Amino acid sequence: MSDARPNDRDTEAGDSGAEDGESGDAPTDDVPAHRAVARSGRLDSEQRQGTPYTESQVIMPTVKIVAPFAFTYGLFITFHGSGSPGGGFQGGAIMAAVVFMIAFAFGIEATRDWLANTVVVALAVGGALAFAGIGLIPVARGGAFLQYDLLPIPVKYGLESVEVFGIAAIVSGVLMGLFFLLANGFASDGSGFGDADADDGIDDSDDIDDADGSASTGSDPTPVTDGGER
Amino acid sequence: MTGVEPVIAQVTAIEASLLVFVVLTAIVTALARDVLAAVIVFGAYSLGMAALYTFYRAPDVALTEAAISAGVTTVLLLLTLAKTTRIDHEAVFEEINIPAAGAAGFLFVGLALTLGDVPAVGSREAPVWSNPDVTQWYLTETYAQTGVENTVMAVLAAFRGFDTFGEAVVVFAAGIAALIVLHREVFA
Repeated sequence: MSDARPNDRDTEAGDSGAEDGESGDAPTDDVPAHRAVARSGRLDSEQRQGTPYTESQVIMPTVKIVAPFAFTYGLFITFHGSGSPGGGFQGGAIMAAVVFMIAFAFGIEATRDWLANTVVVALAVGGALAFAGIGLIPVARGGAFLQYDLLPIPVKYGLESVEVFGIAAIVSGVLMGLFFLLANGFASDGSGFGDADADDGIDDSDDIDDADGSASTGSDPTPVTDGGER
Repeated sequence: MTGVEPVIAQVTAIEASLLVFVVLTAIVTALARDVLAAVIVFGAYSLGMAALYTFYRAPDVALTEAAISAGVTTVLLLLTLAKTTRIDHEAVFEEINIPAAGAAGFLFVGLALTLGDVPAVGSREAPVWSNPDVTQWYLTETYAQTGVENTVMAVLAAFRGFDTFGEAVVVFAAGIAALIVLHREVFA
């Protein structure tokens, strides 16, 4: 049975290769050469790029009910690291997981619009700066790095502030950033991967994906080679 | 928390069933033919491990395992799978690769031979009790020195705070590295 998978892959590549040959024959085709090559690979096939989002009547109400409690639990874990198990790392991960949950229920695009890149970057960068800053205040007062008893607040709150403003912010920001990065995938535009114009907008890349998807379905007579395999 | 006498824990029925569950899910993860099924079973494995950690009185580790392994990693793997083409298989399980199974069995036998020397859970012979002056110092002195009741958090944030700063920066650098690898300038 272990031979079945390479055979599947070969037939699939062969099919899309033939399709690419057809599109290459027509010079007026909108699909550029590098996109045609990218489509023959298993990763990043264009039919798969536009992940269909369907509003589920089960998932959406469930997430609406669960999300506030889960987010509060994440905040609790973050803020009560000194008195109960947990801390900034675990709480930050739980809060990021709440965002994943919302994104799965209400659509990743909508969540990305709601949670702008600025927020994610501010969390990650601000967390790193806050941790370093809290560590450096005792140094400025003539002590060692992170010497909490030289902070103007009690030692316990020094630890808590590192957990809350430092670790929790970094972890939640980076995890959400990785989620949004992976959700966008390898945008096969221009240099194979990486958006050429990724810096000027978030909706832009989606428009590109949609446009390419519709263009390929319009121009190719057999656009469902991958869909047939599934 | 101070000066606890070690308790030799008996393996309860819940622990035993959790152990069996974890082993079974690990085997299914390794053998499942469909990657989606493997990812889902792997999430169940992580959840079982998290429950097991709470039974062994490591709630901090359990929280991390549940949040990161069962939650975040599963979501990120599912997201990656959604971006790729899924192939339908007739077979549920992979055919067992004889050399790989032999190597795994060899490793298993080698590790099983050391089981006789592993101390029981909570035993005085456990390495964590080999230097009670150090371990008990943290348990007795943490509250006096930091005012924090959770010793694990005090050790992480205060006693080895510089290491934790390095770890936090590593997490931050991982986000930056993902941006660089994907040729992006925004998390989108």
